[in-house]
Amino acid sequence: MALDDSADDVRPWTEGITYPVLVDPQHVLTEQYAITNVPTVIWIDEDDRIVRPNGVAFSNDMFKEFTGDESGPHLELVREWVHTGAVPMSPDEAREAVDDLDDDAVLARLHFRLAAHARRAGDDATARAHFARAAELAPHDFTIRRAQLPLTGGDPFGQEFFGFYSEWQEAGRPYNGLGSVRSES
Amino acid sequence: MTSVTIIGHDVRTVEATVGAGHVLLDPEQLPAALGWELKPEGLCRDDVCVPVRERSSLFVDDRLDVARVAEALRRPVVIDADARLVSIALPTEQRRQAIDALVAPAVELADLDGTRHSLDEWRGKKKLLVAFASW
Repeated sequence: MALDDSADDVRPWTEGITYPVLVDPQHVLTEQYAITNVPTVIWIDEDDRIVRPNGVAFSNDMFKEFTGDESGPHLELVREWVHTGAVPMSPDEAREAVDDLDDDAVLARLHFRLAAHARRAGDDATARAHFARAAELAPHDFTIRRAQLPLTGGDPFGQEFFGFYSEWQEAGRPYNGLGSVRSES
Repeated sequence: MTSVTIIGHDVRTVEATVGAGHVLLDPEQLPAALGWELKPEGLCRDDVCVPVRERSSLFVDDRLDVARVAEALRRPVVIDADARLVSIALPTEQRRQAIDALVAPAVELADLDGTRHSLDEWRGKKKLLVAFASW
């Protein structure tokens, strides 16, 4: 599920992918699942229960140098779950791992949603004002801060991003969920 | 009267009166705007009703104030009356309960061809929900 503005933004990344790809321009997911960064992976069982909640996990090692996160250990756990049904944590641990959004985080999502809509409708002044308010309310949330860069003429891999990235690091790299799975060694 | 767009998990447009930071609706427009309607027993959707202690507090003259209705429904809201835009969240309690109960909400979204899918289409299978983005 892509936290992107349109299917066209997503298509270049989905070549060869055979599973369903959905687009979430309203950031419904970041509200309902309290997601604060991507990639976030959630394990959902046959009865639509969350058995492993929000966690940092990559499908390959493209960003390994930058993030230090390896894809292998998480994928190994996924395979085990698929084959044997074994889940790596208890429901209590799963519940502990993710916090509900606080009021400001919810309002930030609403300002973002309003801004993204205004931008699509061509009302750039309204969009800018609400993107800015969203950033004030949730200053360390990638789905608010980084997601708005391509929508406000910024570069998600440029100067603005690295400014935000150092703020995020200084704040202790907050993430609502489980850190990436490390290999046992 | 003017058109106001209400952005929740979907996007709706309704006719409303706008002024001084407020968006005011004819009570008849409420179901189209928010999916709830005002009945004698309170604000209702299907067979669920949220009691409203002081009905008059929802009104400005004979029109419903969207901000006050959202508050009565415990739905956080952002209103930009000048831009004719309202952005509204789920009821806080509904979100909180799903997160605490480890229930995966059945979000409904469009695929790359525009066909809508709900997560519960894949009930009976194990699912890996991957939230990703081009940014």
